[in-house]
Amino acid sequence: MTLQEAQPITALLDPETVQSIADEIWPTLVGDGEAFVPVPVAPPAEVVSAWVTITGPWNGAVVLTCAPATAGALAESVLMTRPPTVVDDEDVADALGELANVLGGNIKSVLPGPSSLGLPQIGSAPATGRLDDVCRVNGQWRGQSLTITVQGATEALHPSGTEVPQ
Amino acid sequence: MKILVTDDSRVMRQIVIRTLRQAGYDDHDIVEAVDGRDAFEKVGSEKPDLVLSDWNMPEMSGIECLEALRAAGSQVAFGFVTSEGSPEMREKAANAGALFLIAKPFNEDTFKDALDGVIA
Repeated sequence: MTLQEAQPITALLDPETVQSIADEIWPTLVGDGEAFVPVPVAPPAEVVSAWVTITGPWNGAVVLTCAPATAGALAESVLMTRPPTVVDDEDVADALGELANVLGGNIKSVLPGPSSLGLPQIGSAPATGRLDDVCRVNGQWRGQSLTITVQGATEALHPSGTEVPQ
Repeated sequence: MKILVTDDSRVMRQIVIRTLRQAGYDDHDIVEAVDGRDAFEKVGSEKPDLVLSDWNMPEMSGIECLEALRAAGSQVAFGFVTSEGSPEMREKAANAGALFLIAKPFNEDTFKDALDGVIA
């Protein structure tokens, strides 16, 4: 099946499903009583993203985007650190990547298969392609902007050698 | 009992170890491996009683590690802790000799359900 023949993500997934997956992940991974709230707030000036690719009948990525400070707070919450312990940059990237990884794994499970999940990547979010191949939930965590985007692949999304076959 | 926790994410290894403690398995020795190849080698050197492994990792995936262990004659108890739990993956894991597959996100109850009977 070619990319052109594949159904866009909007035909396969709705924001409510993404939210329900986030509802399961936040209390177990981020911490008791924590929630991803699907109410948008002003986007931060500077952002960082973590994402995993999905390769199969639908090709694309699941991207988690927030301010660097929010990523740091997420890592502290995931790791349950208490002062004076501080998380380093590696922990922040690791924690944000794992959140994207678990989101991606659960979203993959509701998409047509068989498909495979790539390893988490961190940086500037990949460019989005067709408008109808994007499912985005703009929300917040502890009042800070957080966005989950499930977006179809563009050519730049799949650098060679990043996927691990399953 | 010695448990080998395998994940390329240090954060996730910490979460798995924390969840083991929360589930009441807090009197076991824990050793860690950073990918499937490391786990394969540590099954030989550390002789764990149980391997808890991520699926998707660089160098060697969890399923490749399990297949390599069984091909080498190791019958060490092996379970997956992975971000996806599709029926196809569960079947592949079971066919390769895994005892269980825990899908992320998980909590201590998920661990108890999977591990009771495996961990003495």
